[in-house]
Amino acid sequence: MGRYIIRRLLQAIPLVLLVSLTIFVLLQATGDPLATMGGRSPTRPEDKARLRRQLGLDKPILEQYLYWLIGNDWAKFDLDGDGIAESPGIRYGVLRGDFGTSIVTKQPAMKIIMDRLPNTLLLMVTSEIITLVIALVIGVVSAVRQYSFLDNALSGFSFVAFSMPIFLVGFGLLYIFAVKFREWGLPSLPTGGIFDPKEGRTLNQLVLHMILPVATITIISVAGYSRYIRSNMLEVINSDYIRTARAKGLSERSILYRHAFKNAALPLATLIGLDLPFLLGGAVVTERIFAWPGTGRLFLDHLELLDYSVLMGLLMLITVAVIVFQLLTDLMYTWLDPRIRYS
Amino acid sequence: MKRRLLFVLTLGLMLTLVAAPTLAQDKKVVTVSYTQEPLTLNPLYITQWFAANVVDMLLTPPWFIDDNLQPVAVQVTEIPSTENGGISADGTVMTMKLRDDIKWSDGEPITSADYVFTYDMLMLDKNTVSSRFPWDTKVKSVTAPDATTVVVTFNEPFAPWLTTLFTASPAMPKHALQPIVDKDGTLDTADWNRTLDPGSGAFKLGQWESGSFLSLVPADNFWGGKPKLDEVFFRVVADDGTSQNAALETGDADIGPFLTAADADALEKQGLVTTVTPSGYNEGWFLNVNPETAHPAMLDVNVRKALAMAFNRQKIVDDLLLGKLPVPGSYWEATPYARPDAKPYDYDPEAAKKLLDDAGWVDSNGDGTRDKDGKELELRFIASQRQIRKDVQAVVQQSFAELGIKVETSNYDNFFDTFGEGGPAATGAFDIAEWSQNPDFPDPNSNVFLCSEIPSADNPEGSNWTGYCNEKVDSLLQEQLKTTDTAKRTELFHEIDQQLFDDVVWVGVWYDADIWATTKRVENARYSGADPFWNAINWDVTS
Repeated sequence: MGRYIIRRLLQAIPLVLLVSLTIFVLLQATGDPLATMGGRSPTRPEDKARLRRQLGLDKPILEQYLYWLIGNDWAKFDLDGDGIAESPGIRYGVLRGDFGTSIVTKQPAMKIIMDRLPNTLLLMVTSEIITLVIALVIGVVSAVRQYSFLDNALSGFSFVAFSMPIFLVGFGLLYIFAVKFREWGLPSLPTGGIFDPKEGRTLNQLVLHMILPVATITIISVAGYSRYIRSNMLEVINSDYIRTARAKGLSERSILYRHAFKNAALPLATLIGLDLPFLLGGAVVTERIFAWPGTGRLFLDHLELLDYSVLMGLLMLITVAVIVFQLLTDLMYTWLDPRIRYS
Repeated sequence: MKRRLLFVLTLGLMLTLVAAPTLAQDKKVVTVSYTQEPLTLNPLYITQWFAANVVDMLLTPPWFIDDNLQPVAVQVTEIPSTENGGISADGTVMTMKLRDDIKWSDGEPITSADYVFTYDMLMLDKNTVSSRFPWDTKVKSVTAPDATTVVVTFNEPFAPWLTTLFTASPAMPKHALQPIVDKDGTLDTADWNRTLDPGSGAFKLGQWESGSFLSLVPADNFWGGKPKLDEVFFRVVADDGTSQNAALETGDADIGPFLTAADADALEKQGLVTTVTPSGYNEGWFLNVNPETAHPAMLDVNVRKALAMAFNRQKIVDDLLLGKLPVPGSYWEATPYARPDAKPYDYDPEAAKKLLDDAGWVDSNGDGTRDKDGKELELRFIASQRQIRKDVQAVVQQSFAELGIKVETSNYDNFFDTFGEGGPAATGAFDIAEWSQNPDFPDPNSNVFLCSEIPSADNPEGSNWTGYCNEKVDSLLQEQLKTTDTAKRTELFHEIDQQLFDDVVWVGVWYDADIWATTKRVENARYSGADPFWNAINWDVTS
């Protein structure tokens, strides 16, 4: 098993490098971060030329990638524009733990990401847990009571929720529970942010502000998960060993939860394993609608600014997480299904 | 049983937390909804209008520009002028006298050394400052003969000093930042860039949570008195109208800046007060008059006049902007520099037809498009990808077709690229180009009509994309740069404005002002187009 894990990790190294190079080249091709520097007016040509030189954006793309990867403290650069490279570089490169500095905020890219990550994890993990609990209940109930009124109603809800764009759900909930409820004099929910400045930062405020974004993500996610669980459960409860268990006189509860559910959960583990790394990326649309200070919103904001240090940091974080979670998922199979062995 | 009990208890606790009435507090808080989070607070690195506004409250300039676009002294004893000796007779030296009672928030005095240090930081090669204008091209030196005197020497007379220089880049605390520069070689990564502590404003940063909010609280040691508010809270909201409007409608925010006309209209109906402040920007048509790149018809002033008269701009403003913003008659609309009673060309399609007929552009071959000497009147109308510009293009294409003018529209991602970068407007690949432009607002100085700014292979960064070159305008634009007498300079701009109007090289489409919405509980908020939060110290809320 140990050798298997080491082999998988070694195989991942060229993959990560290839992905990083691809993303780096694609981001550079997206546009010129100095065109407006995020401002209202185009950047003055003299300033554009100076900044391009100071930030190293005048170098060929592969040279820029090399500096991003291994740093540039071993090379000298011309900062004053006199044609003589006189100043040593100050970057150490990702291989030495330096993800670079944001072009626009001048902060270390990884610090910017780590500032937002807890908020995203709070939102996304909460949503994921609630989604799984609701989806499991719906999926199992729908499977056990196949074609009943309840199954049909839940299936109908799932199809509607699955088909709706997330911004529609987000804005719909915002309009009803924040705007209209307040207009009607009913207890209403906040429109966005993580607390009301007049009330201060409390757990109560955090929970209140989480309700709408969590509900938005959950409504969209629960639909897909519940359909998946329903179909897996249906497949399992109609299999021979369940019939045998029934014939042996086991209780329905024991059959359902001890025998059927564990086997039905195996494909679900794959799905969750694939989804978990993307929780780090946050919910781009939902975070934007509800002004949730997470990595999803961070990605969008810095994409508009073409701030490639931050974008590269975020995308590489997700890339590594995908590889790690896939490995963990594979390892979890051995626990869920003792027939599986890795060597 | 135990599990059920635990579940019920947990649920009960959660419901109690959510439903528990919160303690009402007496803090006077004004919440501003902000669709852009500041990327930095150091003015040297700022490119965002939103960030610059926050800085107004944390770091004071020598003088603010108020809501009447007039200077109000803050750190200086009086505004420099030729009368008080602050501006030398030849206009090449500006001298500022600082107050002797001004202090940083940590109690250290603000002196002329802080101003010299700020200039040094702007010019330091290891600092990736957003712009060095006008320091790199216009300023020869900044010196401090004594602790309260700052002397700025220009390479040549530089009239726009009032609204550039330290108004855009307020003094920074040398005593706090010099050690950082000595250690790191640069200010780029200084923590101060995100705190401005010590600062020189009426407020100081209380807390800043990335992506969520900034909270400003009254500062210590501000010589201008104590703010009336206990806190100004900048809530970062999504940059779509829906989220911002929801926050303003529900009272989750009190002030909403930078609104669209449609959002302003919706908020007015909800009882909010809207305010329009000049931004210096005007959306307009720049007409190509460069003989090398323009359609031959564009070289005839009467054809250009016909284009201006053939386009119902008021209808565009009414339909797309709900009539909130007027059609500008001047490139310097809503400033003292616009010629008196500046009015746009009237919409008069019949007069436009006659002008075209008289100029010889008639449909001689019966194909529905006017022509002359075998050349069809087919014009290229280009813009960026902004949707509202595409809407204008569509309307123009249709209405001009009725007059026998064929319009081909194009939209570009790289619209604003320079001549050297192959930008479509800069290289003259148009007859009509629409964008929003401002002079060095609130200063009226502008380079875009100077002959020397016409781009070419030798001048790839040139900003005069219309190719307009009028000796009289050129000479007046050069003269105003050296004219330190405000009244005389204003007259020069009236002349320039009239000539541009007569030559029909720029046609205003709408006045691109900033629109604000404010709830009625906020008092004394007077937004300036130049320094929006200049009087935040006087903001208050009704009980």
